Amino acid sequence: MDYSKTLRNNNKIYSRTGSQRQSQQHAADFSMRFVLSGNERYDIGHRNLSIYPDSFLLLNSGTQYSSDTDSSEPVQSFHINFDRQFLQDFRDCITMKDSKLLARQGTAAKPDQEYNETIYPFRGDIRYNVHHLKHHLDNGIQDEMLINEYLHHCLINYYSIYNEEVLTKVDKLGFLNKGTRLEILRRLNMAKEYLYSNFNQNISLDDLADHACLSVNHLLRTFKQAFNQTPHQFLIQLRLQRAQLLLKSTKYPINEVVNLIGFECPSSFIRLFKTHYKITPLKYRQTA
Amino acid sequence: MKLKYIPVFTDDMDALISFYSEKLGFTVAGKMAFIEGWEGTVLEADNLPDAAIVVTAGNTTNNKACIILSTDDCLADYHLYKSKGLFFCTAPRYLPAGMQAEFLDPAGNLFVLLEERNYNEL
Repeated sequence: MDYSKTLRNNNKIYSRTGSQRQSQQHAADFSMRFVLSGNERYDIGHRNLSIYPDSFLLLNSGTQYSSDTDSSEPVQSFHINFDRQFLQDFRDCITMKDSKLLARQGTAAKPDQEYNETIYPFRGDIRYNVHHLKHHLDNGIQDEMLINEYLHHCLINYYSIYNEEVLTKVDKLGFLNKGTRLEILRRLNMAKEYLYSNFNQNISLDDLADHACLSVNHLLRTFKQAFNQTPHQFLIQLRLQRAQLLLKSTKYPINEVVNLIGFECPSSFIRLFKTHYKITPLKYRQTA
Repeated sequence: MKLKYIPVFTDDMDALISFYSEKLGFTVAGKMAFIEGWEGTVLEADNLPDAAIVVTAGNTTNNKACIILSTDDCLADYHLYKSKGLFFCTAPRYLPAGMQAEFLDPAGNLFVLLEERNYNEL
C-alpha cells in the first residue's frame, strides 16, 4: 500500500511498494529505513548498502544518498523521518531530570547529535512496534497521538539497540582511549555493513579490511573482541538467517536458495542449517 | 476444561461495576452465586470471550487479585484505555516476556496488559 503521511509535528512516514527501479537523491531528516520484503540499495558516498527485511538503516539529517530498488520481486519499503524538535524533546525527556525539564525555559537550539549511521539488526521490540504501526496505518488510522506514541517507542527501541550494538561493544575493545575504541567500532560497523550488503558474494578478507580501513590482522582481532565471533562466523550466521527468510517467504527450491545466499554447495548448507537450528531447511519451510 | 471466572472482592459494588463497564468495556451478564453465601455480579466483555469477572462483596484487604490481560498490541490498547480516562501506574515497558503496562481498579486489584513477544523469532 502506498502512502505518505505528514503528522502535525512534522514527523513523516512513507510506505511504498514497487518493483521498478527508482533513484532519488536528497538530504534526509534523521530517519529510519525499513524494508519489509525484497531489498533496497542505498549509496551513501562511496558506501553501497543493501537493506533486507532483517536489518534497517539509520540516516542522520543532512546525509546525501541515493536509493534504488532493482529486483523482480515487489519491494515493500517503509520509512520514518523524525522531526528535529521531536527528536530533541525525546532526548531531553530521557536524559534530563524531571525538575530540570519543568524548570526549562524556552527551547534553546542544540546542535544535532550524530548517530552511528549504519545498518542495525531489525528484530525484537522495534520489529513488533514498526509492524503494529504499519498495520494501523494500512487500516487508515487518523489518531496522531497513537502514531506518535509508536514513533516515540521506535526511538526508545533504537536507543536500546544503539546501547547493545555500539556502547556495550565499545567497552569490549581492549584499547585504553575511549576515542580510539569508538573509532575502531565505527570501522568495524563498516565491515559489518559490508557483510550485510554483500552477503551473497564471495568476500575476501582483503576487500573487507579495505572497506573498513583496517589492516587484515587488526580487523580480525578487533572484530572478534567486539562481536565475539570472526567475520567468517558472522557471515555464515547472516547467510543462514537470510536463508530462513527466503525459506519462509518465498517458494524457491532449496538449490536456488543456496545460490541466492552465496553458498556453493547445497549439502554443506543443509548441514550447517541443521547444526544451527536443529531442523533441516525443508522441515523448517514446512513448519514456517 | 477451561479457566473461566475470576472473582474480585470489593466493599463498593456499584463503583467497581461502573469502573469495569465505563473504562474497560464490560457488560453485566447477570447475578449468580458460585459459592454458597457469596453472590456476585458477572461481567463479560466482547474481546474476552472465554472469561468473566465476578464482582463479589467482601473484605478487600486480604483479597487482592492480579489479572493479566493478553493483548496483540499493548501500545494501542494502552492508548485506547488512557483516552477513556484510565490511569496507568506504569507506562508501557519492555520485559523479557514482552511489552506490558499496569493499572489498578478502585478496589486495588492489579491489572496487567501484556503483549507477549517472541524474541527468538526472526
